[in-house]
Amino acid sequence: MLRTLISRLMNTFRRQRLDEECDEELRGHLEMLAERFVARGMDPVEARYAARRQFGGVTQMKEALRDRRALPPLDVLGQDARHAIRGLWHAQGFTAAAAVTLALGIGASTAVFAVLDTVVLRPLPFAEPDRLMSFRNIDRRGPHLTNISYPNFFDYRAQNRVFERLVCYRDAHFTLTDSLPAVRVPGEIVSWDLFSLLGVQPELGRSFLPEEEKAGTHVVVLSYGLWQSRFGGDRGIVGRQVHINGNSSTVVGVAPRGFQFPEDAPPMQLWTTIAEDGSMAEQRGARVTEAIGRLRRGVTPERAQAQMDQIGLALVAVDPDSNRNIAKTLVMSEQERLAGKTRRPLWIMLGAVMLVLLIACANVANLLLVRSTGRAREFSVRSALGASRWALVRQLLAESLMLGLLASAGGVLFSALSLKRVLPLAGEDIPIPRIAGVSLDLRVLAFCMAVAVVTVVLFSLAPAVQVMFTDVADALKDGAGTIARGRHRLRSSLVVGQIALGLVLLVGAELLITSLLYLVRRDPGFRPDHLLTFGIGLSDARYNTAGQIAFSDRLRERLRAIPGVKIAAAGFPLPLEGFQMGIGFDIEERPEPSGRPVSNMAIVTPGFFSAMGIPILKGRDFTERDDTGATRVLVVNEAFASRFFPGENAIGKRIEPGAMNIGEAKTMMHEIVGIVGNAKQEPLAAKADPIYYLPYKQLSWDIGTIELRTAVPPQEIVPAARAVLTGLDKEAPMFQVRTGEERAAEAIAVPRFLTILMSGFAGIALVLTVVGLYGVLSYTVARRQREIGVRIALGAGRGTVLGLVMKDAMRMVVVGLVLGVAGAVGVQRLLESISFGIRPGDPIFVIIACCLMVAASLAAAYIPALRAASVDPMQTLRNE
Amino acid sequence: MPKDHSEVLQGTLDLMVLKTLDALGPLHGYGIARRIEQVSDDMLRLNEGTVYAALLRLAQKGWIRSEWGASENKRKARFYSITRAGHKQLAHEAESWERISSVIGRLLRLESQH
Repeated sequence: MLRTLISRLMNTFRRQRLDEECDEELRGHLEMLAERFVARGMDPVEARYAARRQFGGVTQMKEALRDRRALPPLDVLGQDARHAIRGLWHAQGFTAAAAVTLALGIGASTAVFAVLDTVVLRPLPFAEPDRLMSFRNIDRRGPHLTNISYPNFFDYRAQNRVFERLVCYRDAHFTLTDSLPAVRVPGEIVSWDLFSLLGVQPELGRSFLPEEEKAGTHVVVLSYGLWQSRFGGDRGIVGRQVHINGNSSTVVGVAPRGFQFPEDAPPMQLWTTIAEDGSMAEQRGARVTEAIGRLRRGVTPERAQAQMDQIGLALVAVDPDSNRNIAKTLVMSEQERLAGKTRRPLWIMLGAVMLVLLIACANVANLLLVRSTGRAREFSVRSALGASRWALVRQLLAESLMLGLLASAGGVLFSALSLKRVLPLAGEDIPIPRIAGVSLDLRVLAFCMAVAVVTVVLFSLAPAVQVMFTDVADALKDGAGTIARGRHRLRSSLVVGQIALGLVLLVGAELLITSLLYLVRRDPGFRPDHLLTFGIGLSDARYNTAGQIAFSDRLRERLRAIPGVKIAAAGFPLPLEGFQMGIGFDIEERPEPSGRPVSNMAIVTPGFFSAMGIPILKGRDFTERDDTGATRVLVVNEAFASRFFPGENAIGKRIEPGAMNIGEAKTMMHEIVGIVGNAKQEPLAAKADPIYYLPYKQLSWDIGTIELRTAVPPQEIVPAARAVLTGLDKEAPMFQVRTGEERAAEAIAVPRFLTILMSGFAGIALVLTVVGLYGVLSYTVARRQREIGVRIALGAGRGTVLGLVMKDAMRMVVVGLVLGVAGAVGVQRLLESISFGIRPGDPIFVIIACCLMVAASLAAAYIPALRAASVDPMQTLRNE
Repeated sequence: MPKDHSEVLQGTLDLMVLKTLDALGPLHGYGIARRIEQVSDDMLRLNEGTVYAALLRLAQKGWIRSEWGASENKRKARFYSITRAGHKQLAHEAESWERISSVIGRLLRLESQH
């Protein structure tokens, strides 16, 4: 049996030659036979006929041999495919409905998978990415991850024996003034062997040398994009000097095209060494840099972490003040760190879209069932004419396959379209790493094909089973009757399943929408309307602290003079920008040397609170007189006051922030002069955390971000503001120009993205479910027309008939909802982990979803019910 | 049932072809047809084309193999010969044939005594 199959399979591929050989063999036979007759004295022409007679039908034999020699199923499959295409073509309405439904399901799942694959699953585009480990300190007071100071990093790098290389990196911004206009570009400050760590060869030139970490060197590797756009792809760029941050830097290399590190940052335009950070490299207290390492072969992350912990413990002794709280370390896979927060939501989205696909499958299965019911007679006749049951099933499968093929082509189109159109809806700067790289590659297409195949199997199963177990003779005797009953039960259960799955998706969408509304509606603590913000690239080399303060004063004064500008101020970090400076402090009346409290900090100019729209609740704002010559002051938010001075008046209390020992300033007691409202620093946090604000003139680290409170729509101010800036310093670029509303929207980009997805899925699910229910009911009404006609003839009123159909619908809905509630409760629990402002286990979501489903179902059932009620009894009885 | 009938015939023809190749060595289709004609003494009239169907079946089961060669009168022809598996099969078939035919023979004799 197997031998025969193999032989046939092999022969299938040399069919042509075998045919020719066979012809030759048979011709030879016929000739010999004819010669024999001639030898017996027959006329040659006569002999040929006699030979053919004795041989039997030559052509029939050739055909029989050909069929048996190779695999006939291939031929037959071709035939099935032709039949299927013809069948689908004749039923265009059915084909279109089924293909579009499936294409939606397949396309949506492909698109979601493409995102998941790019962001979470795909290995990092570096050499042996599974040995790349992110390395951080853990602050035991948090406990949260914290950056590493340069001196500590150097010690970790020198003392560990578990990493082949350990590299530090820090996001920064650089102002390029080699030609005008000056631009501000994101860049990375790294230790020398970043490129070797990643196994990346520069496109041009070389990467950094160990001695280029020393302060005073200025070397830079350009990104491919910057090299192309700003330097015209000049291959002689290596060795040239370019002006970066007011210094003359030597270009040592150009990164290869598409190189991006770190992957969770905006596209970096250049890389430079830690020489750029100057004296910061000597301060153990300045936790500024992140780290990534390549494990030595055979070293596990656990072993690596154990050794790093040991080094961390030893570092406490080196500098207890700075290192006491950060002895613990964390070594985790870089890939995992990148996927981090988005992994769970994206998997949930893939699950959701799979439910949509299931619902779509149920719809198509229902359509197919209707179709095969309509074809029961056709099948019976074919069966009676000798088609085997297997042949009938095979034809159904062929149709399903063709349908699947059509749908997956549509699905690929749909997913390409949605990636192009829906993804941008999430916002330009959505903070999901690697999302810009989402595309339909081979992996994604393979996934699409797999989904399509599974789908085809799922939706074609029902009709195939039906044919397998239908008694042909019965079907012939009575057009619908007996088969229809079983078929109807199957169709109803498909709808019940759809309702259950639809309920689950509805609850999911409700939950995320509620969560998003909560995020949108809750008070961010500042007024995002009529607010314009932008950054300025001021060269450190050309402005010392005094110069910077003078510049800031002049700039804010001129900005305030622009018509339409009410207040101009500066500060950083702004609300919703996250925690950037967590700094410990001592409270004068209760010093706690062993565990100083920590709070976030921001540095702001006078007018900052009114520009941002943060209310001053008690005390006063900073003034221009709060400078280094005056008493040191600070303003705290309400959360700070109630956390650290519960039940007391915080005004007049004095604290000593630890930040002052960075740079030239010494630590000093600061008096709290004002209490302001809680502006949210972490956009998604449940409540505002404590923060204290220092006056810009007493701690001038950076010019900060400019805020303008405007009387007109803020975009209208941009040209005038740009003119003011250029008038003061034409080498200072303006960057990240955003309105307050844009900032607020950006802060919730990820939840919004997820909500859009989930709502889309739930919407599709609801429509498909309603369509499915409508289809089944319409079909039932059509089938029961006779019965309904008789009932009406016997005196059943319109209401009774309406109720009949409605009852039918509600039976399915109720069973579906009962089944769906368990799943919905599970999904709610799952989604609570990625949503905000939701009371755990709140039953309102399930209740609303049930009501929605019932309402939609009633609407869907109403039309067939009306049709039933308007059945003309005379008409139907006449048809009897 | 015509189908069953043809199956019996097929099996018989296969056995005859196999035995012919066993007895005479490598032979082409025409030669096999002549041999069967000769042995059956014209008692069995068959369409010679069916010999080729039998040959294909036997080849697919691996009981015979074939190669191209020249016939007696220098014509190119395909020669079939029996394989080791074919020998085994032949022995087996021959035995079961003997058994069945003896059973049937005995049965028929019994019937005629009544």
